[in-house]
Amino acid sequence: MAAGLILERPPDVARVVALSPMRHRDDVLPGAGILPVLPALSDLLPAGGLQRGSVVTSGDWGLLSLALAAGASATGAWCAVTGVPALGVRAAADAGLDPGRLVLIPDPGQNWPQVVASLLDGFDIVLLRPAGQPPAQLRRKLEAAARRHASVLLVAGEWPGAQTRLVVSEEEWTGIGAGYGRLRARKVRVAASGRGAGERPRFRWLWLPGPDGTVTAAEPWLAAGDAAEPLVSSG
Amino acid sequence: MSRTAAAGDTGDRPAEGPRRVLVLRCPDWLAEEEPDVPGEAARAFEPVVAIIEQFCPQAEVLRPGLAAIAARGPARYFGGEAALASKLAESVCLRGYPCQVGVADGLFAADLAAQSGPGGLLVPPGETPQFLSGVPVAALRIPELTDLLPKLGIRTLGEFAALPAAEAGSRFGAQGTIAHRLARGLDPRPLAPQPPRLDLSVQQVFDPPAEQSDPVIFTAKALADQMHARLSARGLACVRVQVQVLCADGQELTRLWRHDGLLSALAVAERVRWQLEGWRAGQERDDGIGTGGITLLRLVPDQLVRATGHQLSLWGEAVVSDRVARAAIRVQALLGQEAVTRPVLSGGRIPAEQVLLIPFGDSGTPRRPADQPWPGQIPAPAPATVYPEPRAASVADDAGAAVSVSGRAQLSAPPAWLSVDGGPARAVTRWAGPWPVTERWWDPAGARRQARFQLITDDGNAWLTVLQDGQWLIEARYD
Repeated sequence: MAAGLILERPPDVARVVALSPMRHRDDVLPGAGILPVLPALSDLLPAGGLQRGSVVTSGDWGLLSLALAAGASATGAWCAVTGVPALGVRAAADAGLDPGRLVLIPDPGQNWPQVVASLLDGFDIVLLRPAGQPPAQLRRKLEAAARRHASVLLVAGEWPGAQTRLVVSEEEWTGIGAGYGRLRARKVRVAASGRGAGERPRFRWLWLPGPDGTVTAAEPWLAAGDAAEPLVSSG
Repeated sequence: MSRTAAAGDTGDRPAEGPRRVLVLRCPDWLAEEEPDVPGEAARAFEPVVAIIEQFCPQAEVLRPGLAAIAARGPARYFGGEAALASKLAESVCLRGYPCQVGVADGLFAADLAAQSGPGGLLVPPGETPQFLSGVPVAALRIPELTDLLPKLGIRTLGEFAALPAAEAGSRFGAQGTIAHRLARGLDPRPLAPQPPRLDLSVQQVFDPPAEQSDPVIFTAKALADQMHARLSARGLACVRVQVQVLCADGQELTRLWRHDGLLSALAVAERVRWQLEGWRAGQERDDGIGTGGITLLRLVPDQLVRATGHQLSLWGEAVVSDRVARAAIRVQALLGQEAVTRPVLSGGRIPAEQVLLIPFGDSGTPRRPADQPWPGQIPAPAPATVYPEPRAASVADDAGAAVSVSGRAQLSAPPAWLSVDGGPARAVTRWAGPWPVTERWWDPAGARRQARFQLITDDGNAWLTVLQDGQWLIEARYD
């Protein structure tokens, strides 16, 4: 941006946003303060959904990060993803994330904290994969931005101040063997832990993804040896 | 150039009689119902607009491939409407853009006249109602009406225009009123009389001059918001907006933009971007504005109408709220327009082909439809990580020799080790494949002969790999 250029923000917007962060959320959403998640994930989250203004981590980048945003997206929330140049949009769509309400900033560059802060001002959910762990001061700034704009910061990575942490603790693919079948579905055990005192860890088994790409609840694992299904032609 | 002179011809003073409009159509642009990326098309159309502007500086771009000018003034200068039309058509055709030209009373009729016959048609003054009377009602392009009217026995615009205006409004609603005005050769919405001294334009001075387009585009959005606020405070909206850009070296770039719905703030910002980019392309420069920078951006609302709250969404799918658009445009101002994209699912066999990334602010439809079956497509579930460029890999068997596949899809040995990007080799615990694919064999440039595999390594990662011309590549990861 050219030096010295001062952009005049429409004054009414600045005032109204500061007074009431919910004002512009005309296309979203019932349930004040909580963004819905997929049914399979709601048991993992203390509020049953994503608390607006909070930070939630999902371990390393993967389908779990996308699945966390899917429930809200399906009900009209807008989601921005930044720092993920290799996002599988098809997988996101199959998990329930509406591509029509998805905006991608694959490479936020050196200025990424400013990019994330700007995004938190407009999007309901900002999914960030930081390059390494950001310094504490920066984290607090972005946490404050999320609170101020009542949006949710989903982090694929480490974020010590997060209200809720989800992580895939076990995983097993089905449908594939040594030279036959194909990847059909992945059964995972997701562990959730919170920051609050007395917050006990929770566990759930999920299909992440199921055979059609959706994310649903699964029965606990039987025996690891039964992983492969019979040979099925892939067509 | 003087705005008042142009206003006389563009219809701000209806007392002077019906305005004469010349429409130029370039069928090449209009063949597709919706261009893939309208921003691209607008930039490509810019040379044609430049030619039109040699005839009339107030060229109005309706959409890429379709432009209009007020015919009366230039016709006087060039020796009549027929001479103007043929000279303009010749200039555009000589530059390699086939086109049609139509002249009639009002934009709607002029557009229809341009479509009549291979080179277009000139409808003499006063004969527009007669010309329209024989046109089928389908020309209105209002689906609700064009399906309904023939069932009521109304097949042509003449028959529809014969209905009393009040009846058209009461029976067919707001759209009926608009359609009836069009059928009679009038403007779709009556223009609101504007007090002559009321200046509703908004502007921003750049000091120092803006060297890059992005801050100007960002400002355009804010200015458009201001302009809309001023208009709506008076119960008005505008059908067209004039974008004036002044440069430090004294150059002025002015363009009129029209939108089928009413122009939203985001749509205005988008058009400012097209204008700047098209202009820059014309100057064959790629380093910033290159003329000492932009010193002033002014938006002048034109053709004011009573605001009815009617707003077409700019996007095919979800309507972008102002809040989202503002955040996205702010990030575009930081990183550049291409850095913020919206994904559109598209057809294709491999994951990287199944998504089209459209810069935010452009809208687009995939060239390859997503909802048709693609034989040989990688079956569901889809991978959560799809590398934009495949990563290099090597796959070895137990003995450490590279695994290969024969022309008959016979594997040299089971894959046992996978190394990604020259990293340490991981043991392959399970695998499936090969699935041979020969794609587009009829097209030497696009032809691919490949064999795909899914591999799981002992660290739990699941990979989609492809063997192509003896080289192993990783296309995606299932995580």
